[in-house]
Amino acid sequence: MNSRNKRYWWCQIGGWSVWALTMLFFSYLFEREVSVLFLYRLFFAVLLGVVFTQILRAIIIRFNWLQMPIEKVIPRLLIMTLLISFIYTISQMSLVEALNLSDKKVTLNFGRRLLLNSLDNSIFLTVWLLIYYAYHYFERVNRQQVDTHRLNAVVKDLELKTIKSHINPHFIFNALNSIRALVDENPERARKAITELSNILRNSMQAEKMETVPLENELNIVRDYLALEQMRFEERLKVDFEIDDDTLDQPVPPMMLQTLVENAIKHGVSKQVDGGMVKIISDITNNQHEIIVQNSGRMNGSLHNKGFGIQSTQDRLNLMFGDKAKFEIKDIANNIVEAKITLPVDE
Amino acid sequence: MTKRAIIIDDERLARNELKKLLMDYPEVEIVAEAANASEGLEKVESLQPDLIFLDIQMPGKTGFDMLSELDRSPHVIFTTAYDEYALKAFEVNALDYLLKPVEPKRLADALHKLDQVEEKESLAGITPTVNRGTLGEADQVFVKDGERCWFVKLSDIRLFESVGNYAKVFFGPNKPLILKSLNALEERLDDKVFFRANRKHIVNLRMIEKVEPYFNGGLLLEIRGGDKIEVSRRQAVKFKEMMSL
Repeated sequence: MNSRNKRYWWCQIGGWSVWALTMLFFSYLFEREVSVLFLYRLFFAVLLGVVFTQILRAIIIRFNWLQMPIEKVIPRLLIMTLLISFIYTISQMSLVEALNLSDKKVTLNFGRRLLLNSLDNSIFLTVWLLIYYAYHYFERVNRQQVDTHRLNAVVKDLELKTIKSHINPHFIFNALNSIRALVDENPERARKAITELSNILRNSMQAEKMETVPLENELNIVRDYLALEQMRFEERLKVDFEIDDDTLDQPVPPMMLQTLVENAIKHGVSKQVDGGMVKIISDITNNQHEIIVQNSGRMNGSLHNKGFGIQSTQDRLNLMFGDKAKFEIKDIANNIVEAKITLPVDE
Repeated sequence: MTKRAIIIDDERLARNELKKLLMDYPEVEIVAEAANASEGLEKVESLQPDLIFLDIQMPGKTGFDMLSELDRSPHVIFTTAYDEYALKAFEVNALDYLLKPVEPKRLADALHKLDQVEEKESLAGITPTVNRGTLGEADQVFVKDGERCWFVKLSDIRLFESVGNYAKVFFGPNKPLILKSLNALEERLDDKVFFRANRKHIVNLRMIEKVEPYFNGGLLLEIRGGDKIEVSRRQAVKFKEMMSL
């Protein structure tokens, strides 16, 4: 028996016990005594009650009345309740007659008793139904909430993964093409380039598993990446680092700086016929860790039209640090774009 | 038949790599290299190569931009590392392209395909015009409209229509816009094939299916595809003269 079924039976037993106790209480209240006959009748009423609600439940499940829209299900339940309470009452009364358990004091004729008892029983059945439906309603709402939460978590997880593993295929194939040309021209450089490319690929794969990495690791990838881009762009790309040694072991989201540098090359340097520069700065200002990427070029278009790199950086920081981290990108003086990440300092 | 080729790519190493691969094809002679689109434009116009190898992503202008500025496009084999937009354009329009790093087999296929195209052209008796001044029927132009692009043979174009500073080019089911005025086009087009019917239209004479008299001594031309173009009275005289020869 699964846990849902178990719960149902506990409710059944509990509910009918409460009902029986209430009956006993009222009987005592009016008659000042409880006859053995009454106890028998109560026992059979409960037994039949359990049997008939069980039938009612089977019908509800069989015809899928839990999922049915409310305006359709109410008339069906109404008819079914009347029908079942009628059969319930007949069986109850015949049983009482057959076993000779009836109260001799009652003077009402059979027909009227049948009608009144049916009405009584239909009220109990209605209460039973209300509880049954209320239970399922709350359970469903609950389940939906859990599902939504789980879905959100999955989406977040997926988002982070795709954001992290994003290394531009255009870069990879261009690098491979340059390496092939270098194999004859400068075998030493070609070997080094293969090592650099492997480092980047390996790191981008490992990044999926980690929340943060020390800045030093991230800088190593960026250095390899820029070395490869310099191989492609040759004298058209100038690179400059300005790193405060104290920031080297600060935790940063993996591949985030890398994405910004890639962006700087793609939108800045590679668009200019005479090339340009990329400068990377890391320091601690006002007890905040600032990572800055500057590149020659100009922001084109409005901020609303953000590229994948910028949007994903913003989303990642939001997911990881909430409002403790900041990201901005803007034109600063004479043909230079600056992207700045501000992170909380890890003591 | 030797082909004179220009390689246009912003990366020196990429150009070298392609040159190295092309050493296996003595019939392809590299007459120049260019490191960006404007340099490329200049060299294509001055050297008039048969073939260009063209990178798409370059600083300044893209390869597509460069082509749309050319009056007459030579045969083009695109080269790109990986560029979703370009790849889509290639596939939609069946343009020939090589992915870097270039596979030698793919290069062989591309050059072979080019041979077949040229052979077909020479069998059909059409050869690209030697005279640089005018554009002949066999010449092709590169047309780009948003994300779509085509190489169009002038002989496939039935009509040019003036739309402000632009011209609408009618061929097949397509009517893209190009940034050229009708007057500039008229100057470059071969006047034995392309006729200025009125202020707004240039028609391809070989695409005319029916000629009817029209008001005021003008004419009404019905061209393939069902478009009807009015010929002004002044031009009608010229038209009759040409046709009676």
